[in-house]
Parts: sequence; C-alpha cells; structure tokens
Amino acid sequence: MAEWTSKRGPRTFYKSRGARPTGVLTSSRKFIPVQAMIPEFVVPSLEGFNLKPYVSYKTPAGTEQPMTPEMLFNQVVAPQIERDIEEGVFNEENLEKYGLEKTQEGKLFKLHPKNFAR
Amino acid sequence: MRLTALLSMAAKAAFPHDYRYGTSRPWTIAAQRLNPPGKKRRKVFVEPIANEDWHVLRGDTVEILSGKDKGKQGKVAQVFRRRNWVILEGLNTHYRYIGRSGDYRGTYIASEAPLLLKDVTLIDPTDRKPTDIEWRYTEEGERVRVSVRTGRIIPKPVYQRKDGIIPQQWKDGPKDTSPEDTLQTTYTPSLKTLEEEVMEKMNIQEDRRPRKSYWY
Repeated sequence: MAEWTSKRGPRTFYKSRGARPTGVLTSSRKFIPVQAMIPEFVVPSLEGFNLKPYVSYKTPAGTEQPMTPEMLFNQVVAPQIERDIEEGVFNEENLEKYGLEKTQEGKLFKLHPKNFAR
Repeated sequence: MRLTALLSMAAKAAFPHDYRYGTSRPWTIAAQRLNPPGKKRRKVFVEPIANEDWHVLRGDTVEILSGKDKGKQGKVAQVFRRRNWVILEGLNTHYRYIGRSGDYRGTYIASEAPLLLKDVTLIDPTDRKPTDIEWRYTEEGERVRVSVRTGRIIPKPVYQRKDGIIPQQWKDGPKDTSPEDTLQTTYTPSLKTLEEEVMEKMNIQEDRRPRKSYWY
C-alpha cells in the first residue's frame, strides 16, 4: 500500500515526518533551543542579480560543454604547473600550492565522503 | 558510482521484457488494465527498425497504403517506436462512447487506430504522391530524407510543442530570465566548492570541526 505516515494509525500513534531537532529536551520536559542547531540562511546581497526562477522559451540551446574534472584541471592547475616547470621550480612533493590536497582530513567541506548537502 | 546507478534504476520506470505497449501511456488506468502485474499475454512480434532507419516523424504528411482509409493522406499525430505504430489525425477511425456514467451513455467520438509503419509512406511534396524514402547525405554533410522516385529532399516537419507555445512569439513574464542574461557566462573555474567561496566572500570564520562519526 502507500507509505505508513503519521496521518494514519490511531490517535496515540506518533511518527515524525523527518524534521531535525533544534535543541535538547531535558528530564523536566523543558525544551532548551540550541542556537547552533537552528539553521541560519547565509545569503549575499542580490544587487545587480538578473537571473530569475524560469528561463524564457526564446533562449537557444547553449553550446558550452559540461565541466569535467579533466577540463577543470586543464583550466586551473595545468597553467600553473607549466609555468613552474619553465622556471624550474616544480617540486613533486609540494603539490599543495596548486590546490591539490593529500587528505580530506581537517577540512570543513570534504569532497569524499561528501559531508555537505547541496 | 554504484549508488547513483541504483538510485537512477529506482527513478526510471521499469517494465518487464514482455510488456505489451498500447496506445495509452503506461501510467494510465487503461494501460494498467491492459497489463496487470500477474498477466502473461501472447507475445507481439515487432519488426526491429534501427533508430537511423526510422523515417516517419511527428507532423509529417503520409499516405495510407492498406486498410479502411486506403489512399488517404493525413498528418502524423503520434509515433510509437516500440510497436512500429503511427497514429494519423482523423484517419483509420472507429467510433466509441467516452465518459459514460450511470444512465448517460457518454459522448460518441471517433478514435484513431494505429497503423503499422509498413502500411504508410511519406509523400513527395512536389507531386503529392506516395514515394519510397531513403536517408542520404547532402553536400554539406546533413542527413536528409530523399524520395527515391524524384530525388527531392523531404524537409523535417516543424516541431510543434504539445502545449502550443511558439518560442519565437513568446513574451517574457516577470519571472522569466531574458535570453541575454541566461547565456551570459559568469563562471570562473576554481578548485573551491561553492560553500567555501561563499564563506570567503562573506568573511565567515569556522574553526570548529564536526565530531568523527561512523555509519554503515
């Protein structure tokens, strides 16, 4: 049948719909909201931002290819490596200065395993 | 990689290999009545036609070669690749009642029956007679349909959207982005994620790191 939600069952049946808690429930049944658990939206100023929710039907299909890891590497990292090789400064142990990371430990937004939702 | 494959498998509709495709879309009640989950129907044999060899497109004018409306020309309304069917507007019709409820017997309408691809041919635009069609390449390298008898190129029919919108005559509403703004490229490739760039721009310092947790 359809999925078992909080709308079905007897009136004593309680099931949450997946909302995350925003605080702590103490033993005296008092709820203490924790500011860090309440989501805060960080929005930059939208001055001069012309993009709207929908796209006009008159727009022709774009010709740009979707970005792949190879293209990103060729555009961002490869010129720096070529410049360093020409100057003679290229060091295989020091790849961090081009933005390549050895481990994802200690980073706030890890790429693998991806620990942020988008 | 395997997880995304699994999710996409769940998202796209799965049909058994002996699913009998009809004129109704698979999610309608009529199609579900035609193909209940536990049924086994006699297999319908369909001549396999490669994607490159299919020459009848929606909106083309074609002529019927056999059947009740033999010799008549009509516009293609729908194409069913799974069964090599073509439905023309108003031709090869049978009549039925639709929307009956209680005592009301319903509206008497003409509903078109599908025609197989081999019972239908495209029409030469010059003399408006049926011809055989071949796929050939022009001098520019474009692949076009050419009638064998006269050698005239048959142009692709104008693609009319089902919602009736003609893109050139569209008037932008308040929530529509204009074509110039859409095609503007403001992307600068960088190795930072969107979240890191926003944090840098808004001068947010975050030194806390989440506690290590494990999931299986």
